[in-house]
Amino acid sequence: MGSYILRRLGYMAVTLLIVTILGYIIIELPPGSYVESEVERLRAQGGNLTQGQIDALYRRYGLDKPEYVRFWLWISAFVRGDFGQAFAYNLPVSQIIFDRLGLTLAFSLSSLVFSWVVAIAAGVYSATHRYTLPDYVIAVLQFIGLAVPNFLLALVLMVFAQNVFHMQVAGLFSSQYVDAPWSIAKVLDLLNHLWIPIIVIGASNTAWLSRVMRANLLDVLNMQYVQTARAKGLTENVVVWKHAFRNAIHPLIMVLGSSLPGIISGETIVAIVLNLPTTGPIYFNALIQKDMYLAGAFLVFLAIALLIGNLGADILLAWVDPRIRYE
Amino acid sequence: MSDKPGPKAPEQDIVLRVNDLHTYFYTDLGISRALNGVSFDIPVGKVMGVVGESGCGKSVTALSIMRLLPKSSKIIKGDITYFRRPQHNGSAGASDQIKQKSENGQQGFWIDENAGKVQEIRLNDLDPMGPEMRHIRGAELAMIFQEPMTSLNPVYTIGDQISETIMLHQRVNKAEGLRRAIDILEKVGMSNPKLIVGNYPHQLSGGMRQRAMIAMGLSCHPAVLFADEPTTALDVTTEAQILDLMRDLQAQFGTTIVFITHNLGVVAQMCDSVSVMYLGRIIEQTSVDEIFYNPKHPYTSALLNSIPHIGSRSKERLQPIRGVVPDPYSKIVGCPFHPRCNAFMPGKCDKAMPAQTVISPGHNVRCFLYSDEVEE
Ligand SMILES: Nc1ncnc2c1ncn2[C@@H]1O[C@H](COP(=O)(O)OP(=O)(O)OP(=O)(O)O)[C@@H](O)[C@H]1O
Ligand SMILES: [Mg+2]
Repeated sequence: MGSYILRRLGYMAVTLLIVTILGYIIIELPPGSYVESEVERLRAQGGNLTQGQIDALYRRYGLDKPEYVRFWLWISAFVRGDFGQAFAYNLPVSQIIFDRLGLTLAFSLSSLVFSWVVAIAAGVYSATHRYTLPDYVIAVLQFIGLAVPNFLLALVLMVFAQNVFHMQVAGLFSSQYVDAPWSIAKVLDLLNHLWIPIIVIGASNTAWLSRVMRANLLDVLNMQYVQTARAKGLTENVVVWKHAFRNAIHPLIMVLGSSLPGIISGETIVAIVLNLPTTGPIYFNALIQKDMYLAGAFLVFLAIALLIGNLGADILLAWVDPRIRYE
Repeated sequence: MSDKPGPKAPEQDIVLRVNDLHTYFYTDLGISRALNGVSFDIPVGKVMGVVGESGCGKSVTALSIMRLLPKSSKIIKGDITYFRRPQHNGSAGASDQIKQKSENGQQGFWIDENAGKVQEIRLNDLDPMGPEMRHIRGAELAMIFQEPMTSLNPVYTIGDQISETIMLHQRVNKAEGLRRAIDILEKVGMSNPKLIVGNYPHQLSGGMRQRAMIAMGLSCHPAVLFADEPTTALDVTTEAQILDLMRDLQAQFGTTIVFITHNLGVVAQMCDSVSVMYLGRIIEQTSVDEIFYNPKHPYTSALLNSIPHIGSRSKERLQPIRGVVPDPYSKIVGCPFHPRCNAFMPGKCDKAMPAQTVISPGHNVRCFLYSDEVEE
C-alpha cells in the first residue's frame, strides 16, 4: 500500500507538469494579450499611445519575451511560491486567491458531502423499495435534478427564499453582518446563506450519483453472495449495508475523483449568479481578460485539488475492494 | 391430502415435512407456477437427493423451505414443518433471548418446557425476515449454493465470512469466532486454514471456495443442510473430492442433507433416498436402490436411459427424452409429463392429475400405470 501511494505521488507530479503546460498553452491560445486589450481600452478612451509606450507596457508585464521563456520564468517562480502579479488588480496573485480558494474548497467539499449523503440515502432507499411510491417520487426528483441547469436552480431558489422566507440570499452575509465582528448571529447568518449554494452546486451531482447508487445496488442485491448473507440468518439491514452496499459503492468512489471538476465549474456559474466571493468568478474574469498569471495560478491549484481528490478516491477504493489492493 | 404424502415415517425420525407446497412467481410474463404441490418427508440423518431437469423447481423448493424466495414469489399453499430437536436449538446464549421472547407472549413454540422434546415449527407461518426465521436460518437450516465463484462476498475475508455466522448464532466474540472458523476449515480439508481465514475469495480456487461454503454451512452444526448443485460448476476431479468430503462430513456430523442435483450419478454416490421432480411436482420418491433397479414412473425411466451407464453395452444408445419441458407459465391439464410420455394413455393421462400413491413401503409414484387415484 505504501509503495502504491508513493508511485501514485510520482505519477501525480508528472501529470501536474503536463496539466500546467497544457493549461498555459490553452490560456495563451486565444489571439491577443492583456496588453493588447489594455491598449484597446486606452485608445477607446481617446488616449493615443506611441509604439514606445506600448513596448514599455509589454516589458512591464513581462510579455516581451518568447512564450517558452515566460512559461519557464513563471513556473520556476511558482515553485518558489511567487505566483506573479495579477494585471487587472495590480496585486500579487497570492493576495487575491488564497482567501477565496479556501472558500471554494469549503463549498466544494460541503456540496460533495451533501450530495454523497443524500445520494446514498436516496439510492439505497429506492433500490430496496423498488416500484413503491417513494421510489417513483425519488426518480422524478432525480430527473429534475439532472435536467435543470445549476444557474436556473440558483435563481429559482433565490427567488423562492426571498419571497417565501424573506431572506436575502446573495453573497455570504446579510448586509448588516458584512462588516460586523464574528458572533453567533453572524455564524447563523452565514449558514443561512450557505445552504442554497451547497444544494445548487450539489443538485445534479446528487441526482446522478443516486441513480448510479440505485442501479448498482439493484445489481448487487441479485448477487449470489447477498443470498448467502441472508442464508446465514443476518438481518436485512446487515445484508444491505454490510454485504451489498460495500460492493455497490465501488463505482461511486471511482467517479468521486472525476466529479470534482464538475463541482468546481458548476460552482463558478453558481457563484456568479449568487455573488459569492469564491475563486470561480475571478478565474472566469481572468480568462476573459487574459490575466495570465492569475488564471495560471488557479489552474495549477485546481489541478492539484483534482489530483489529490483522485488519489483519495483510489486509496478509498483500495480500502473498500481487496481485489484492487492485491493487484 | 391425508392419505398420500411421502413415505410415512414416524415423526420421531423426521426433521422436515413438506406438504402440498405451492410456490408461484408473479412476473411480467404472467404467473409462473414453479411448485404445484410438493410433498415429502426428510428423515433425520439421511441424505435425500432431489433430481430433475433444469427448471423443474429444485432450487425453488429449497428456497421456499429456507424462506429465501425473492419478493416476486409467494408460497400460496401448503405447509413446511420443521421438527426441532433440542440439540439443534441454537446456542445457550441464543436461547436466553428466546426465553425472553416467550415471556413477551409471542410464538408459543419458543417455550422452554418444550426443551427435551421435539418441537413442531411451521416455517411457512413465520415472517421470512423476522427473528424466529433468522434464528433458524444459518444455524438450524443451512444452504450452500451452486456457484462457488459468486457465493462468497468479494470484499470480506473467508475468516470474516465464516466467523460472521458463528458469532451471530453462537454468540461468541470475534477471536473465538475466528478460532472456530479455523477449526471448521480444517474439518473440510482445507490445508493451512490459519492462512486461508485471512484470504479473500478471489485468492482461492473454485474447489477451495466451495469447501469454504461447506464450512460456512456446517459451522453451526445445522439440522439440515441444503446443497443446491454444489459441484455443478466444478471440474470432475474437484467434484469428486467435494463429494467425498461431503460424505465424510455427513458420516461424522450426522447432518441431514438435501442434495439437489440433475446428475443421477451423483445421486447414486451420495444419497440414501431420492425424489424425482417434474414441473414443480415430485413424481416418484423412493430409496436409491429402488430408483436405479426398479424405477416406476416413465419419466424416471426416461431420465435413467438418458445417462450413460458404466459397463453398458456400447451398442445401446442413449435415449434423450423427447420433447421439451413445458414452460411453467401455461397450465397443463392432466399429468404434466403426458405430452412427452411413452406410456401415454389418451383419455386418462390428459384428463386428470394422478395422485401420489404408495406402491410399496417407502416407494411412491404419481402415475396412472400404478393407480387410478386422482388428485382432487
Ligand atoms: N426469480 C424468478 N423469477 C421468475 N420465475 C422464477 C424465478 N426463479 C425460478 N423461477 C421459476 O421457477 C421454476 C423452477 O426454477 P428452479 O430454479 O427451482 O429450477 P431448478 O430445478 O433449480 O433448475 P436448475 O437445475 O436449472 O437449477 C423455473 O421454471 C422458473 O420459471
Ligand atoms: Mg437450481
